[in-house]
Amino acid sequence: MEYKINSTPEATEILLSGRMTFSDHEKFRNVIATFDGQKGHQMVFDLSGLDFVDSSGLGMLIIARDIAQKKSLTFCLRGARDDVQRVMKVAKFNKMFTIID
Amino acid sequence: MTARPSPPGVYGIDLGIALDQRRVLVADHSAFNRRTLARFLNWAGIRDIEFAATGSETLAKVESFNPDLLLLDVVLPEIDGIEVLKRIRQDRLHADIPVLVQTTLVSDALRTLCYQAGATDILAKPVNPGECIARVRYHLERLALIQELRQFRERIEKELKTARDMQLSLAPERASLDALAQRHNVSIDVFFESSEEIGGDFWSVFEIDSEHIGIVAADFSGHGITAAINTFRLHTLIGRLAPGELRDPGATLTICARRLYELLPLGQFATAFYGVLHSPSGELTYATAGAPSPLLFRQGTPEMIDASGLFLGVTDDEVYPNEKLVLEPGNHLFLYSDALVETRDDDGQMLGEDGLGEMATRAIDVAPLHPLGALLTSFSARFQGKVDDDQTAIWIRRN
Repeated sequence: MEYKINSTPEATEILLSGRMTFSDHEKFRNVIATFDGQKGHQMVFDLSGLDFVDSSGLGMLIIARDIAQKKSLTFCLRGARDDVQRVMKVAKFNKMFTIID
Repeated sequence: MTARPSPPGVYGIDLGIALDQRRVLVADHSAFNRRTLARFLNWAGIRDIEFAATGSETLAKVESFNPDLLLLDVVLPEIDGIEVLKRIRQDRLHADIPVLVQTTLVSDALRTLCYQAGATDILAKPVNPGECIARVRYHLERLALIQELRQFRERIEKELKTARDMQLSLAPERASLDALAQRHNVSIDVFFESSEEIGGDFWSVFEIDSEHIGIVAADFSGHGITAAINTFRLHTLIGRLAPGELRDPGATLTICARRLYELLPLGQFATAFYGVLHSPSGELTYATAGAPSPLLFRQGTPEMIDASGLFLGVTDDEVYPNEKLVLEPGNHLFLYSDALVETRDDDGQMLGEDGLGEMATRAIDVAPLHPLGALLTSFSARFQGKVDDDQTAIWIRRN
């Protein structure tokens, strides 16, 4: 998995790409460590570059959501496609996350 | 290993860890050299030293004294040093002992010969105290680290083996499974393998009463020890449920999801399928939590059962609904963990649910009563050695 972060005063966009799996745990911790901002600041995970996510990867998204909630940031997932979109549907992520197609 | 104060070293070198428990064998045909080397070793903090003057005496002392390190002269009477070295390296018990060869032979070809025979290091003669002490210490410390690692590894291996046996015993034994299958007029075949010694897949087939069997397949996020601990948690949770709850898959998953939410650290969860088969009618009631789609074979083509749902352990307020389908005699239900669809072959391609469906269809053609073996054979042919996740496959056929 690779990531890129774009920050503006209103929102932080995190673009994930490649395969997000068990072995990306450390890297993802670095991503989460950058979570910061005023109350209500938008954290947007852009998943359009992501080809695959396994159960550990989904776990990381759940952790990210929790951290965002604790810091009173808004959190959403955007642009999942193909396999990633399918996996998120199977996991009924729409019940836990704000999802933008 | 505890650090002990060392005697002041020669040239003021810090001697590091204490070596007074270490045994060193000095093999040299010259009494003068033996005394000199022993003095150097004493300066290095080594007290337990024995001597050999010939090749055969060296081999005998390696046996009886069992040294931690051997200082070996290449030139020895009876059996020369190189031959002694070769024999030690072939002896399984002493093959790992560090051997420092002392030699006056300085040409690269001859040194290479020493290394090929199994020398750990070479000390040029005449041996200087500073270099001798530094090299001996280096190899003894290295040995101590290796021994410590090996002990640690052996202990972990033993514990993991026990844990593995415990995990395997969570599932029903083959004989009782066969008996259950016969009572309920079904065939049940199961394959279960963890990618490491223990893993995060959990499965069970059990009798709730004379007309109902429960079929559960769950997969905890991650693998290895953490995931395995969670399988024990789930096993305990299910074991505590009353038959009335177990006959209701939705209620069972709802309860498990709540308990796991309390128990599991954030980011850990399980996918699950739980079905209850009413064996006289073939009616299967089931509830699902984000599991891979079970495959149902009624006519020719496989049907993918929707097994979506929030994972167990991510929230405490989800109510899991029951779904129903009917297994007629001759119909098959195939449950599997994601490793079967997500493993990548040599070209980086995953089998996917469609691919697995096709593979399973062919397996039914080959072995209509017990297709699982044929399915796994074709799966291995393409994915052998590529699977890095826990694998579970449960095949049920209503007879």
